Amino acid sequence: MPIYLTPLFAPAVLLISAVVGFLMPGRRRLPPKLAEAAALAAVVSAFVSLGVLVFQGPGVSPVIESYGIGLSVRLDAVSAVMLLLVTFIGWVVVRYAGTYLDGEARQGPFTGWLCLTLASVLLLVSAGNLFQLVLAWIATSLFLHRLLLFYPERVSGQRAARKKFVTARLGDVALIGAVGLLVAAYGTSDIGAILAAAKAGAGGGLAVAAAGFLALAAVLKSAQFPTHGWLTEVMETPTPVSALLHAGVINAGGFLLIRFADLMLLAPGVLAALVMIGGFTALYGSLVMLTQPAVKTSLAWSTVAQMGFMIFECGLALFPLALLHIVAHSLYKAHSFLASGGAVEKVAAIRRPGPVAIPKARAVGRAFLSALIIYLMVGLGFGFEHKSPQAIALGAILIFGVAYMLAQGFADAAPRALTRRTAVYAVATSLSYFALQTAATWVTSGVLPPTPAPGPLEWALIMLAVISFGLVAIVQAMFPLWAYHPAAAGLRVHLSNGFYANAVFDRIVGGWSARTAS
Amino acid sequence: MSHKFASALADLQILGTAADRAARAIPLVWPLASSVAVNPFLGQTSEGLAQAGARLARVAGVAVTMPRSWYREKISVGEISDEDLLAAWASAPAQQRPVDLTVLKAAAASDAPTRAALPTVADLAKEVSGIDWPGLIAERFGAWAAGYFDEGQALWQAPRGKGAYAAWRAVATHDLTPEIAGLPGFALHVSEAPESAVAAVARVADRLGLCEDAMETYFHQMLMTQGGWSQYARYQLWQAELAGGTDQTITDFLAIRLIWEEALFIRYGVQITDRWSSVRASHALPIEPTPELVIDAILQEAAERSSQRALAVTLAEPALGQSEDRPVVQAAFCIDVRSEVFRRAFESVCPDIRTLGFAGFFGLTASHRRFASDVEELRLPVLLNPSVRSRSGGSELAAKDQATRFKARAKRAWGRFKLAAVSSFAFVEATGPIYVGKLLGDSLGLHGAGAPNDPPPRLDPALDLETRATAAETVLRAMSLTGNFARLVLLAGHGANVVNNPHASALHCGACGGYSGEVNARLLAALLNDPEVRAALAPLGIEIPADTLFLGALHDTTTDRVTLYTEDYPSHAHAGDIEQAKTWLGAAGRIARTERALRLPRAGQESSVARRSRDWSETRPEWALAGCKAFIAAPRTRTAGKSLEGRAFLHDYDWMQDKSFSVLELILTAPVVVASWISLQYYGSTVAPDVFGGGNKLLHNVTGGIGVVEGNGGLLRAGLPWQSVHDGERLMHEPLRLSVCIEAPREAMTEVLSRHDNVRALFDNGWLHLFALDATGRIAWRYTGDLQWTAMDPAAGDGTRPPLKLAV
Repeated sequence: MPIYLTPLFAPAVLLISAVVGFLMPGRRRLPPKLAEAAALAAVVSAFVSLGVLVFQGPGVSPVIESYGIGLSVRLDAVSAVMLLLVTFIGWVVVRYAGTYLDGEARQGPFTGWLCLTLASVLLLVSAGNLFQLVLAWIATSLFLHRLLLFYPERVSGQRAARKKFVTARLGDVALIGAVGLLVAAYGTSDIGAILAAAKAGAGGGLAVAAAGFLALAAVLKSAQFPTHGWLTEVMETPTPVSALLHAGVINAGGFLLIRFADLMLLAPGVLAALVMIGGFTALYGSLVMLTQPAVKTSLAWSTVAQMGFMIFECGLALFPLALLHIVAHSLYKAHSFLASGGAVEKVAAIRRPGPVAIPKARAVGRAFLSALIIYLMVGLGFGFEHKSPQAIALGAILIFGVAYMLAQGFADAAPRALTRRTAVYAVATSLSYFALQTAATWVTSGVLPPTPAPGPLEWALIMLAVISFGLVAIVQAMFPLWAYHPAAAGLRVHLSNGFYANAVFDRIVGGWSARTAS
Repeated sequence: MSHKFASALADLQILGTAADRAARAIPLVWPLASSVAVNPFLGQTSEGLAQAGARLARVAGVAVTMPRSWYREKISVGEISDEDLLAAWASAPAQQRPVDLTVLKAAAASDAPTRAALPTVADLAKEVSGIDWPGLIAERFGAWAAGYFDEGQALWQAPRGKGAYAAWRAVATHDLTPEIAGLPGFALHVSEAPESAVAAVARVADRLGLCEDAMETYFHQMLMTQGGWSQYARYQLWQAELAGGTDQTITDFLAIRLIWEEALFIRYGVQITDRWSSVRASHALPIEPTPELVIDAILQEAAERSSQRALAVTLAEPALGQSEDRPVVQAAFCIDVRSEVFRRAFESVCPDIRTLGFAGFFGLTASHRRFASDVEELRLPVLLNPSVRSRSGGSELAAKDQATRFKARAKRAWGRFKLAAVSSFAFVEATGPIYVGKLLGDSLGLHGAGAPNDPPPRLDPALDLETRATAAETVLRAMSLTGNFARLVLLAGHGANVVNNPHASALHCGACGGYSGEVNARLLAALLNDPEVRAALAPLGIEIPADTLFLGALHDTTTDRVTLYTEDYPSHAHAGDIEQAKTWLGAAGRIARTERALRLPRAGQESSVARRSRDWSETRPEWALAGCKAFIAAPRTRTAGKSLEGRAFLHDYDWMQDKSFSVLELILTAPVVVASWISLQYYGSTVAPDVFGGGNKLLHNVTGGIGVVEGNGGLLRAGLPWQSVHDGERLMHEPLRLSVCIEAPREAMTEVLSRHDNVRALFDNGWLHLFALDATGRIAWRYTGDLQWTAMDPAAGDGTRPPLKLAV
């Protein structure tokens, strides 16, 4: 039905505003205000699309074709959620950039590239066919490249952009390969038809290979180890770009896997690989982050970790949770980047109320036990019996995090009031987590496949994941007790350098060559 | 070659002296939580602009004046007149200046040659290897230093406790990055370096064949390549010396940077050795200003003379007469140039309002603890040590104090939960959606910062009556406020009201150590409301009427709102006076905002100023002290009613009351010096933004809670961000060195200068200009250095130009 073309309104207005941006490049002119209006219109159009979805149900628009390239919209719970997310963060970022870049000589082009990036992300998340998907995917990264080079003379900006460029082109090749295989396997470029066929188990070896390439594209897009280097250097360009990444750019890898969830289930081996890559990146990123003294760098490492967690969830076939993660993380991280100017005051506030109470081993033990009890209680309330082992394992991992909160309150030196408050936080966090999980599953039911029962490989991975996250959680909770031991000093150095993956990448692409520096 | 110098190098004292001189050539930078302006030429005040320019060009390729085009523009529109040029020319050293005005003007018509620093070993290695070694060194050094100085951004902090050099070696012997980038064996090289920093410096100096003469500028250059990090190390030394100790950090930094040079010298020695010998020889040459630098300095002086002419005209205008009757309200503000706009507006609301200017710490050097805080904040000028301790909230608020702390600690625990490994995933999945609200709230500017509102501060421990009375007397005399007290006397500190701004403290009160000034103002109000103190003051000749109420206040410089701390001294009798004052302050605020909105980009009108202060994406919430060019110490009657455009520091001073000229001495050695730091910080950030400026706000990345780097890391950026001196289209700060105008006998000023060499150097070397005002407030005498004065043509005051020959 043509009404499903509604989501195209958003990229259309952004496109117009981008054109105006390029036509009026100078200072203090129309583009920022116009772009903000366009971004706001995009938010409205996303809500209208949501209305269409609610009242008309999911559907696909007719294909608008020209020169053999089709534009079609697939409107369902996944694309609607992404549309809302991307347009909302897009509006926040465009509005912020309008003031933030005021007085810049090239604010017009910046606004233009910003709008183009958003428009292509919107086309990506609403794509109904493979060609649109590939084109939007590639366009997103090319436009982002221009934003990364907003200050073209910055050497370290060039270094980051070059690494991003290499990674992105590899990702493009992987996606094109995947699409070729999908067309060969299913004889159509319509995403809905492919998913339906995949759900029925069709596709064979070609489909499995396609899943492999999709996974590769996702891993490259979402800055998984060892291709994360560019992401931690992206603050070479104005702050709004770092926030923009969370509007469906850096998390497009997760979106791709969610979009093709039915297909991914045909390839358990690929999913297993994603569990390992994502799980490792999550732990790696979150540990490196602990050592980072600069606020935006720290946030970027946190994004690496969170992207790992998202991929990890996809690998466990917990697609609704991965979607929830994309939404929750994007909102949080976009805000954190934009508000990073408050870091001076935040750090100053840390020491005011007195020293931190450090939990000893016994307090940590009690905290983990209490967290498990909270988990059992809340879990029983929400009904464990409906949950897959994967979901239960994931819940356990998150509850390890809650245990860290409790451990701080259980420290011997902590006053009772603090213990009480942290306990309240812990229970509230657990409740909120389960409620959101339930909501995400409910919203996407019928669109995203249920998690299949784990086989031996999956069980092994689940155990591995729970044990490794659990160990890190315990180590983290007892952190101050060991982190300043001389034996840990060398480890800290290597960790703070991300185990040199980025240094090696720099060496390979000639990041420190004076040719780029001059 | 090394044998030749071996005996000289054996003398570690020579080396230590050179290292120390290099260290003292570096300016300081305070941490951003409590930052104040610093003169970037602090280490060069014993020489003039041209000489300092020659030095800084050699070590960092820095320009110390604007590009010639800037002066050309001013000459072509007649802002800089021939008389200005001639006068500036005449005051330059005869053997260095161009032969006459024609040559000078011809030079002004062409651009100055670009200045490049002498290359370092790392620069030479870059040329022969094609690897960006200076960039890599800056990146690696920054990565280490950021961790070393981190005040709490990282949950896993770098080990502290040992000196910088030892801490760096512990890291550098593990770090594999240099070797991956192409410097094999660097970690081993570091591990084999001497244990002590001075010994390491000696070894490298020997290896590089440095003679004694070459050391000073080469070491200076080494520290300059570490940008703001060296300045932060210099700050450690400053703080240590202020407290009577010493600190090695900056020497350690020198050793660290030299070890890199040594490693690269070993690696590329054969290829660079010839060039290095010539560089080394250049470092050994004495510093001489080039003719071009002398011309630049003359042009700068001419620009300043032009602005002084304008100032003389303003000061010569008849002032608004103020009656001698008892004023209805008196309000003391900080001397900060932003107060001038507000004071003028406030006085215009009602003729019975009097304002006065004094350094915003109001004479109380307090080490203060906020409510529910353990942290001591130094709310005083950074040149001084604290003399009193204070805290907000006493024992009667213990329960509330405790509860507030618990809340803060829970918040802190939540913050750690948010950041820690593993728990960060739980945090995101459980609470991420809440951020829709935060994004909306911040985007729409729903949350402002609001004025600080701690419980009243009190001295803790309390002082005995004698000390309190002496303190009160000293402050009142220094303020020249010893009689004719109004019923209501407001003591207004000032602070900025901004959000999401790493440089917020730079907008607060510099005299209060980069904090907002309400604490000191409230402390002084408490002191002066104390009946015992008043009783003790009376015999000393200061009679404060019983119906006079002092109230602490805070002038919000971003929005020009004034908060009165009326709850500190609830007075029924003064309710009417306070209401009236509030109305007047509100009206003055509107006038001041209207004036400020004209200069702020996109402000449009008065009402949009407040919105901008809540905007998290605003990089120019206010212009702070941009534009400052004059410092005037005189009774307010000399300047009342005249617009000084928010560009003058106004200090109330009545020399007739200053019998021993002790207040004059105080003014010249404290507020004037602080004002010079501010003026020269703006100057340095404008003429040399790459080296002495804080960089681009759009790229700022707060590091360790103490400073900012641009982008990923590398050098700490000290000084003012570009957005703070430039609105995108034009400079908002004209780089002019401050003109200090004091109404006092010349002999008294000469006498003070003769006793304070450091202050005298500022004037003698042209970092500040000094003028004596006559009894009507007109500029009458110019200080020309060496304790000499020349009369100014009084005719200049009424707007006519002096004949050319007079100016020569």
